[in-house]
Amino acid sequence: MTQLHPKRLAQIAQFELVRLFLTKRGLLAVAAFAICWLLILRYPIAQSVTLISSPDFADFARQAFGAIGISKLLDWPESELAVYWLIALFSFPSFCLFLCSDQTVGDRQRGTLRFLSLRATRSEIIIGRFLGQLLILAALLFVTLMATVAMLGYREPSLLLSGLSRSFMLLFYLLVAVMPFIALMSFLNTFARSSRLAFVLAILFFAGGNIVIGLLTWQWPAFEVLNYIFPGYQLDLMAGQRAGVTLALGLPLLQTAVLLLAGDRIFARSSL
Amino acid sequence: MTVLIQAQGLSKNYGAKRALDNVSFEIKKGAPVALVGPNGAGKTTLFSLLCGYILPSSGKLSVMGHTPGNAALFGKLTALPQDAQLDPRFSIAHQLNFYGQLQGLSGAVRKKETARVLELVGLSEVAKQRPDDLSHGMRKRVTIAQALIGSPEIVMLDEATAGLDPIHAREVRELVSSLSNEATFILSSHDLTELERLCSGVLHLDKGVLSEHQARSSTQDNKHFITLQLNQHYDDVEAKLAGLAHVHHVYMSQAKEYVIEFEKNAEPFDINLLHFCYQQGWQYRQLVNGHTLENQIFHKES
Repeated sequence: MTQLHPKRLAQIAQFELVRLFLTKRGLLAVAAFAICWLLILRYPIAQSVTLISSPDFADFARQAFGAIGISKLLDWPESELAVYWLIALFSFPSFCLFLCSDQTVGDRQRGTLRFLSLRATRSEIIIGRFLGQLLILAALLFVTLMATVAMLGYREPSLLLSGLSRSFMLLFYLLVAVMPFIALMSFLNTFARSSRLAFVLAILFFAGGNIVIGLLTWQWPAFEVLNYIFPGYQLDLMAGQRAGVTLALGLPLLQTAVLLLAGDRIFARSSL
Repeated sequence: MTVLIQAQGLSKNYGAKRALDNVSFEIKKGAPVALVGPNGAGKTTLFSLLCGYILPSSGKLSVMGHTPGNAALFGKLTALPQDAQLDPRFSIAHQLNFYGQLQGLSGAVRKKETARVLELVGLSEVAKQRPDDLSHGMRKRVTIAQALIGSPEIVMLDEATAGLDPIHAREVRELVSSLSNEATFILSSHDLTELERLCSGVLHLDKGVLSEHQARSSTQDNKHFITLQLNQHYDDVEAKLAGLAHVHHVYMSQAKEYVIEFEKNAEPFDINLLHFCYQQGWQYRQLVNGHTLENQIFHKES
């Protein structure tokens, strides 16, 4: 039976936070992330009003994101948040694959998991580290969102409260959207031999998987249902605020649960 | 005496290769137990099974009434696994603190524990350093320290003194010896003299097959033995020893070393033997009451 102790889960998750913010490698990742987001905040978000009101924007968005129907976003008075939403929704999941590529594989190769597994169950290790990565993503999302809201407040103070309220809703949806991506890396970490390989496998999964399912669907349209196995399948619809709760929350949560369960089963039987 | 570990018909296969073959044994609470055998004999496989790092192909294994890896064993069974390294990105103290935290120790207690175990291995001064800043031997001692956090009942050390200089290897042996009243140690090593000093029971693995020995066995099937090591080679030692009263059999186990089987009676045989050496002008190096562990395991009388 899977043994999960909430205290140990929390301790393992907390240790992951420390790994990001108190180690050189983690701080480098945070620094790179901060620079990228400073640029994003400085240009597309700071100029969101001009950008969104521009007649060329719809064409640009169509070219950038495909025909995702973002007309609802154009109605938001908090245009900074509309641009943030579009950028974050597509960039955070990809960033996630990179950031979460070494959840257990490095420690497994080094033998550090042997010390840990005498003090925590394997389920606690895999789920604790998943939660730790989720906390890290939550922290990064929160910081970038608050920066965006600050810019919004600077432009139009009267929109600050509605912006804050909308930003918490966005934070929640974004967190749920990145969950299956983290879980995919948790799953791949259970059998990959390095974090790089885990990352490459993730890319192959998305690229190769899409090609295979595309071919299958072309022959047998019923196979289109297989697209639901890909984390982020709902992102296009979510970008235009056209995804229902089942698709925006239910699908990623289900994908997360399935990936974590599969990872947990493999991890439980693998040699440390 | 409490049985800590019980294995029944334990086997482990890696593909077509059988690393452990139908191994059964019991380890009771008490004196350290040695796990010996040549490279590839299955020692690390058995260690890994006991720690729950791998699953057996068949058989049953129970550690303090639980399957290895069970949460009930956290803090009770600790180990120094072979070649395992701490995370190079965190300080030693930070990682040992974290292990203490997972074992359920409160903040103040785990800080004290970290300081205590580092002091035990003579590395208090490296607490704030990262593993990569340490030498191989120091890293090894730090990993021994992590196995001593809290109050473990079983401590498994796989090749604990391998790669350590003689002074620190001796310190580790003294540490094990001094702590052996508090925990049952299971040690694997290629240094049989070291194991002989520390351990009473010996599990000998060879090609996955297990046999059990006593580290200082002076009797075997009601026969009594003494092992005599001489300083140099002398002529006709075997024949002269065989001529002593109450001696049944003598053989040379290796150069300048003789195993004497004798009949026990009222006279002290060992004292008589030393007198005899003195009379013959033989200088002896060591007199072992029984077989040496090395002879028990590896010597086949020709």
